[in-house]
Amino acid sequence: VIARAPSRATMLTWLGGAALGVALLALPLAADNYVLYVLTRLFVYVLVALGLNLLTGYTGQVSLGHAAFFAIGAYTAAVLAEALRWPSALCVVAAAGFAALVGYLLGLPCLRLSGLYLAMATLGFTLIVQEMLLQLAVITHGSEGMSVRPASILGVTFNTDGRKYYLALVVTAVMLVVARNLVRGRTGRAFLAIRENERAAEAMGLHLARYKTIAFAVSALYAGLAGALSAFMVGFLDPQEFSFFLSIQFITIIILGGLASLLGSVLGAAFLIVLPELLAGLDVWQALVYGLIMVLTILFMPLGLAGTLRRQAYRWWGLGTEPVIPRRLGH
Amino acid sequence: MAEILASQVVSGLATGCVYALIALGFVLIFKATDVVNFAQGEFVMASGFISYTLLIRLGLSYWLVFLVTITLSGIMGVALERVVVRPIMNAPIFSIVIATIGASTVLRSSAGIVYGYDVLPLPTVFSKDPIRLGAVTFTVMDAGVIGFSLAIMAMLYLFFKLTRTGTAMRATAQSQTAARLMGVSVSRIFSLTWAISAAIGGVAGVLIAPIVYLDPNLGFIGVKAFAGAILGGFGSIPGAIIGGMLLGVLENLSGYFFNAGIKQVSTYVLLILVLVVRPSGLFGAAPVRRV
Repeated sequence: VIARAPSRATMLTWLGGAALGVALLALPLAADNYVLYVLTRLFVYVLVALGLNLLTGYTGQVSLGHAAFFAIGAYTAAVLAEALRWPSALCVVAAAGFAALVGYLLGLPCLRLSGLYLAMATLGFTLIVQEMLLQLAVITHGSEGMSVRPASILGVTFNTDGRKYYLALVVTAVMLVVARNLVRGRTGRAFLAIRENERAAEAMGLHLARYKTIAFAVSALYAGLAGALSAFMVGFLDPQEFSFFLSIQFITIIILGGLASLLGSVLGAAFLIVLPELLAGLDVWQALVYGLIMVLTILFMPLGLAGTLRRQAYRWWGLGTEPVIPRRLGH
Repeated sequence: MAEILASQVVSGLATGCVYALIALGFVLIFKATDVVNFAQGEFVMASGFISYTLLIRLGLSYWLVFLVTITLSGIMGVALERVVVRPIMNAPIFSIVIATIGASTVLRSSAGIVYGYDVLPLPTVFSKDPIRLGAVTFTVMDAGVIGFSLAIMAMLYLFFKLTRTGTAMRATAQSQTAARLMGVSVSRIFSLTWAISAAIGGVAGVLIAPIVYLDPNLGFIGVKAFAGAILGGFGSIPGAIIGGMLLGVLENLSGYFFNAGIKQVSTYVLLILVLVVRPSGLFGAAPVRRV
C-alpha cells in the first residue's frame, strides 16, 4: 500500500487545528475569568453537539431528547458525588455510561420510528424526564435544585475558572478525536449508509438495529458526559434548565453549524454560545433568536456554517471537495 | 365513587374534545400536504392571546372576538405555509420538521416577550355552574365545550362532503396529480388546508384557555393532541377525533388516581407506548415500517 500524500486541504486543516490548539492552551495566561467561563460553557455544548450530530447528522435520526440525556448525566454525577461521595472521575464516567445505557434502551423502541414520529417520541422523553426530576425529589431534591461541590481528580480540585477551563478543554478535545475516528471508520460509514438508504444499507449486510442503537448510545454518552461536566462546572442543578428548549438549542447548534460535520458542531456551538454573551441582555429575546436561526438556516443555508465554508473553499481556492446536501435526511 | 368517576370522565371528555380539534388540524394538513406541522399547538396559544387582547384590552363582545380570533388564526396558518413551509416542500422531512419547530419557537417566545410568562385569565361565556344529569355532575363549561367542539366537527364533515371545495380538498389528499389534472389548484388547496387547520386550532384555543391556563407554553398542548392523533392512528380523521377524546379522559383519570405530576406525563408515556407497541394506532394504516 502506497501512502497518499496528504492533500492541501488536509494539511491546512491540520495546521489550523494545531494553531487553534496552541492558542486555546495558552489562553488562560492572557484571558480573564469571564472569557474562560464562557469558553468552558462552549466546550460543554460542543460535546453535546458532537454527540447529537453523530445521531442526527450522520445517522439521520432526529432527536429532541438530548436535554434529557444531558439532565441524566448531570443528575447521575451529582447524586453519585453528593449522596454517595464517589470520586469525581468515577462519577463522570458512571454518568456518561448511565446516559449511554438509557440512550441504548430508548434506541431499542425507536428502531421502529423515523422522521417526525421519532421527533415526537424523543420530545415526549424530554418532557417525561424533566417531570421525573421534579417528582423524584427524594433523589433529585425536586424543584429546590441540587448543589454540587467542585470536582477533584488526582488530588487537583477544579474550583477555579482556569482549572475548569483546562478540564473541559481536554475532555472535549479527546472526545472530538474519538468522534473523528468513529465517523472515519467502519461505524461512521455504516451511520452514513443508514442515513442515505436503510434498505440499501441492509442489503449490503449492515445490521441496522445494531448500528442505530449504537448511534443512540454513543450520542447519549456524549450528552451525558457533557451533563456531568456541566454539573461540576456550574456547581448547581436547577431542573428548570433541562427543558424542551435546551433540546431546541442543541438541535439549532447542529443545524446552524452543519449536519454530519464535526467542524459544524464546533462552529454552531461557538456561534450560538458566544454570540448571546456578546449581545448581553439578550435574555427574553434568546428563544426568538434561536427559532429564527433554525428557520432561516433551513431556508437559506441548508449546508450550515461548516458546509458553506467548505463550499466556498472549494469554489474559490479549489480546496477539498464540494459538499452536497444530504437528500434523504430523516426518512 | 362511581359518580365522581363519571364526572371526571365528562370533564376529561371536554378537554379531550379540544385535543380532538387540534389533532384534526394536524391530520388535515398531513393528509393534504404530507407535512406535519409542529407549530399546530402555537395556533392554539396565539389564539388564546389574541382573544385575551380583544376581550380584556379592547373590550369587544365575546362572539365577535371569537370570529375575529379564528379568522386571524387562519391567516396566520396561511402565512406560515407561504413563508416557511412552501419554499421547502420538496426538502427532506427533517428540514420541514425543524423549520416548523423553529417557527413554533419564534411564536412562543414572541408571545413571551409581549405578554410575559405569568398565567393570564381568559373569560368565557360558559359558567362553571354545575349541572346534574342523573348520577353525573358536570359544569356548564364542560357541556358547552363538548357541544361546541362536536358542532365544529359536524360542520367540517358537511363542508368536506357537500361543497365543491371540500371535494377538491379530499381529491387533493388522495392524489395531488389526479386532482391537478381535474383542474384543482393544488397550491390554493394547500393554503386553504392550512387556513382551516389553523382556524380549528383557534377555536381550540378560545375553548381551552379558560379551562387550563393561558401562558406562552400553552402551545405544548399540541404535543398532547399529537399523542391523541397517534393513539387514534395518524392520518385518520375519525382516529384523530376519537384518539383525542380518549386521551383527554385517560389524562383526567390518571390525574384523579395519581397526582398532577403524573397527569402531566401520562400523555407522553402513552405517546411513546403507542408509538412503540402499535404505531398504527387504533384506526390508522401503519405509518412506519419495521427495521
